[in-house]
Amino acid sequence: MSEKVKVWPGTPLGEKDIKEKRILVTEWQPNLKYAWDTGIGYGKYFAELKKGRIVGTRCAKCRRVLLPARVFCEWCFRTVDEWVYLEDTGTVNTFSVAYTGTAAERLKEPRIPALIEIDGSHGVAIMHLISEIDPWKVKIGMRVRAVWKPEPEREGAITDIAYWKPI
Amino acid sequence: MPLDKVTQVAQTKPWHGDIPVYGQYTFGIAGERFFRDIKDKGRIMGAECAACNLVYVPPRIYCERCFGELAKWLEIPNRGVVHTFTVAHADLDGNRLKEPVVVALVKFDGVYGGLVHRLGEVEPDKVAIGMAVEMMLKPKAERTGSILDINYFRPIQA
Repeated sequence: MSEKVKVWPGTPLGEKDIKEKRILVTEWQPNLKYAWDTGIGYGKYFAELKKGRIVGTRCAKCRRVLLPARVFCEWCFRTVDEWVYLEDTGTVNTFSVAYTGTAAERLKEPRIPALIEIDGSHGVAIMHLISEIDPWKVKIGMRVRAVWKPEPEREGAITDIAYWKPI
Repeated sequence: MPLDKVTQVAQTKPWHGDIPVYGQYTFGIAGERFFRDIKDKGRIMGAECAACNLVYVPPRIYCERCFGELAKWLEIPNRGVVHTFTVAHADLDGNRLKEPVVVALVKFDGVYGGLVHRLGEVEPDKVAIGMAVEMMLKPKAERTGSILDINYFRPIQA
């Protein structure tokens, strides 16, 4: 508001106006289903997660581990050389304590998203969740281990790891 | 090169996703009145700017040229002419239609603007620019306050 503008012009509408059909409304719901081909690198990464293993690739030139697995090294501009199986243990690189969920809803029990450096990858980290610990006790540098979902529940996704717990 | 190549399509794992989007569009002050007039009274309304000597269809609340308020509304005859048209053989997903749909911009005498709508009761290859057409409304009970309350425009029998 300013000296000149005392009230915003316009016609305010609320959910009530729509629900009680006081105004005309056109509803719109597009079908936005999609299928994304995961390719060779991510394809194997997801397939191995289903088996309870974490797989990356290694570039022999820069000796880097690429995780999640990719087939092309964007540093050296060349195809990578081998698959490399990593431990399902790691070190907390950084973390956060979230009291709101992905739809901004309030959570009674906070979630602890964290970057976890996977053992054997020389410091490459993936985003995941930490649990089975008091949020105030989480520390950078803390050692954690993956807690896998039971095999029948796994579907070839990063969520096949339920969370990570302190070792 | 130990990276095994995918040789079977079934080996690839597509990631399936969905983006849930739901929208509610309200028509605004002029649009609300315009569609209510179609729904309840079965008539097309326009808004006149006396200063610019223009009648807008669909009506709006202000003139795009002089920014003056469009206070005067008037009924537009339900007869117009085909200004341009196209014959669609595919639907929005690209699937072939059994019967082609003719979509036209219908303009009205003395009116700035017009309505994009379907043409009905006519063979697609008989449609011509300049053809006189009339509005065919749905029965009142089926009208919902949408441009589809007009079923289609059909040629006026000479």
